[in-house]
This record gives sequence, structure tokens and C-alpha cells, in this order.
Amino acid sequence: MSNSHLFLKPAFITTPGQNGVGRYVCQLQRVVLKFCKSHGASRGMREFIESDLINFVKNSPEVAVYLKPRRHRSPIIKAEYLNGETQWINASNFTQEEVLKWLFLVKSQASNRTGIRLRKLLHTDHPSIQGPWTPYLFRDPKLNLTTFPNEELSQADVQDETATVKLLKLFQLQKIEDLNEKRAE
Amino acid sequence: MSFWRQSLKLANRLISHNSKSIFHATNSRNFHRWVSPTLRELSRRRKIVGPDPEKPRSTYLEWNYDVEIHCFGKRVGENFDEKVLREAFIQREWANLQEFKGKAEDESFIPPQHNYELVQEGFKLIKDHIQDIYSKTYTIDIVNAVCDYLTTDEMLAHVAKYLGVKDLIKSVEFPPSTKTLADTFKAIVGALSYSADPERVKLFVNDFVVCQMNGKDVYDIWTPDNPYDYLLKLLQEKGITNVEPRLCNQSATNTILANYQVGLYNSEDKSCLGLGWGENIQIAKNSAALDAIQRIYN
Repeated sequence: MSNSHLFLKPAFITTPGQNGVGRYVCQLQRVVLKFCKSHGASRGMREFIESDLINFVKNSPEVAVYLKPRRHRSPIIKAEYLNGETQWINASNFTQEEVLKWLFLVKSQASNRTGIRLRKLLHTDHPSIQGPWTPYLFRDPKLNLTTFPNEELSQADVQDETATVKLLKLFQLQKIEDLNEKRAE
Repeated sequence: MSFWRQSLKLANRLISHNSKSIFHATNSRNFHRWVSPTLRELSRRRKIVGPDPEKPRSTYLEWNYDVEIHCFGKRVGENFDEKVLREAFIQREWANLQEFKGKAEDESFIPPQHNYELVQEGFKLIKDHIQDIYSKTYTIDIVNAVCDYLTTDEMLAHVAKYLGVKDLIKSVEFPPSTKTLADTFKAIVGALSYSADPERVKLFVNDFVVCQMNGKDVYDIWTPDNPYDYLLKLLQEKGITNVEPRLCNQSATNTILANYQVGLYNSEDKSCLGLGWGENIQIAKNSAALDAIQRIYN
């Protein structure tokens, strides 16, 4: 995450209303293309309407498309989603292809994603399928039949030799070596 | 946004009016001293009045009900009979109001059909299908609980919301209430039963209602009041009569963090029926019984 993302609203990946579990419902419900009939900034939008719009509408019959000519105002793509959100895209000086690309974008998303950063690219409501740890997990079955307090289990669990034992062993070795030296003399 | 645009418009008008009538001057480089206090006053008044109420989408200039109805059918991927689909969106109160208005003007006015019957039919179809699906695995208690959960007004309104029903509804109130949304969804299912074969209707209910159980546990929705007794009853039907609850583990007894683990065993073949935890033995036994009930069905 860079500095420019600090003030973006963090969000998780979500699907509205279990979309896609049953069948996929396109979350874009309608698009309003606002443009001017004479202004240069709307040129790409006008070209799009002349050549590509029919194909777009044929391929996406679930989206209601409205055209709204307005005199001398910049072209706008207004997208309305099923969750009630509205997204405005300023399409001034867009080329015909750019308009189509933006329309594909709004068609494929479920809400207005501007000003949002994803915290992670994955999300799950159930992070663990094993369940929580309990103190009885991996418990030694031997303990089931033990009576407490138990002398053996109460002792310190020491695996290695203690320092005292090591010292005693060294002392014994030293004594043997001393004896051998005396014999050699 | 609209508020700022309006206030700016007002400010512009004030500026232009001012410059024309008093100064006859060209554009000035500074903001007038009154602009800021005026905007502040406007925003103060707006705060007192509150935001504008939400306007129905149908009052907008760019609105075509025929297109919207067509798009709705395509959106859910069904071929509706358009006349019945239109009927499904008309609430009874709205139809009555139209009839009242129409009759006042013209005696021969034909009142619009409302969705009351479609709602009843659709609701029955939804309930029947959910019960059919769940009764294959679960007992009648669980089936009823799940069915009630899936057919609450809140759940059906939630489903309807993501089908884009809100703008199409013709009702007296706006925004439409939860009940209206739920009723409209039921009516849509009813309308589908007139337009497509019963298999298609079942698929529709499956895809939009039953799939709401995705990621949810049946046992979060349904819990018996007394799990141990309920388990004994269930096991008796299966022919297991000797259930032996055993205290398997305990820790931190006589403290506030006491914890017990109880296991339920079939004392005939020594098999474990269920395991449960709790802060005392009674709770642990009940949760073990819940676990055992879950193991029966899974």
C-alpha cells in the first residue's frame, strides 16, 4: 500500500445477496448516457451511440439504457446499480472505445468502487473449518485412568542429565586418571 | 452535491444581478464579502431542514416502464408473460386508489389488476418447494424452522432488493416497505408459474431463496429448547435406548473459567454419539446432545 492509498476507504470483497450461488444477476440495472449533440467533448460518445450502442444493448438486455441529449454540457455516463448506488463518470473527450470500456466496467461491477481499496484479494466468512483449540485436544489417553495427585506426574519433567550428575561423572573420571598416573610412577 | 450546485446557482444569480443593476462592471477578480456568509446561511438552513426526501426513479425524465419491465425479465433470466409480470408489481392499495380516481372521472374506467392472488399463489409455491427440499434430510421441526426463516419478510425483501424490484413496484408508499418488497417477490414467483413450467419455478426458488442458506448452518437457525430430551426421542425412533452421558474432561473447576467436556455414548456398542463443552456439566450435556443431533443428520 502506497501513500496515495492512505485515505481510500478499506473494504473486503463481497457479493451482494449470494449472487452467483444460484444464478448470476447483472448488478447494473440502468445506464444513462448524457451528451451534447454539437459540442466537441461529446464526439466520442456520439460516435459510440451511432455505431456501438445497438450491439451493446443486444448483448446486455438486462441493462436499461437511456440517452439524454443536453445542450453544451459535458458527456456523462451515469450508472445505477441494484444496491441503489449511482456512479457518474465524466466522459468528456472520451473516444468511442473508451466509452465502451467504461460501460463494460460498470456492467461487470456490483457497486461504485471508486475511492475504495481492497484490504485483501480474498475473503471468507469462515476462516477455520477445524474449530477452535480446546485444552482437551491431543490429550494423552493414559491420563483418563490416572488418579490425582500422582507422585510420578508431579515430578519435574527432566530429560537431560543435570549439572550435578555431569560434575559427579567428571569427578569420577578425574579420580581414575589420578590413580592411573600414580601407578605409572 | 445538488445542494452546492443550487447554492452556487443562487450565488451566480446574485452576482450577475448585482453586477448588472448596481455596478455595470465586468468580471471582478475577488469574491464579494457577502458570498461566504450567504453560503454559510444556506448550509445552516439546509442542516435544519434535512436532506431532500428520496424521489422515486419513475419521476425522473429518463424513465421508460416498458423497457424496465423487459430488462427485469432478462435480468432474472426468465421468459415472463408480460401482462402477468406487470400485474405482479401492482399493489392492491395502489390499484384501489387508481380505481377510485378513474371512476370519479369516467364510469367506464377499467381498474388495473393487482397482485393479491399472485402473492398467495407465489407464497405457497415458495413454501412447498423449500419444504420438499429440506424434508429429504431433516425432520419436520427443522424443515418448518428453515422454511419460516427463509420466508420471513426481511429475507424475501432482501432477495427482491437485489433483483431491482424497488423501482418497478407500483404502491402508495415510497420507498416501498419490507412487506411490499417481500409481497412483490412472492407475486413474481406466482407470475412465473403462469409463464413457465413448474420445474422452472422450482429452479427460480432454488436459485434465489434456497441459496440464501449458503454459508449458514441449519443448527444456527433451529435449536430445540431441551436438546437432551429431543435427542433421546430421536434415538428411540432409531432403536437406541441406552444413552450414557460421561464426563470426559474437566479443567479449572471451582473457578470462574471452569470448563467441562461431556460425551454421550451408546452403552450397547460403546460408540460415541456426541461431544460437548460447557461451563457446567448441565450445559456441556446439552451441547453434547446438540452435537449428537447434528451427527445424526450429517
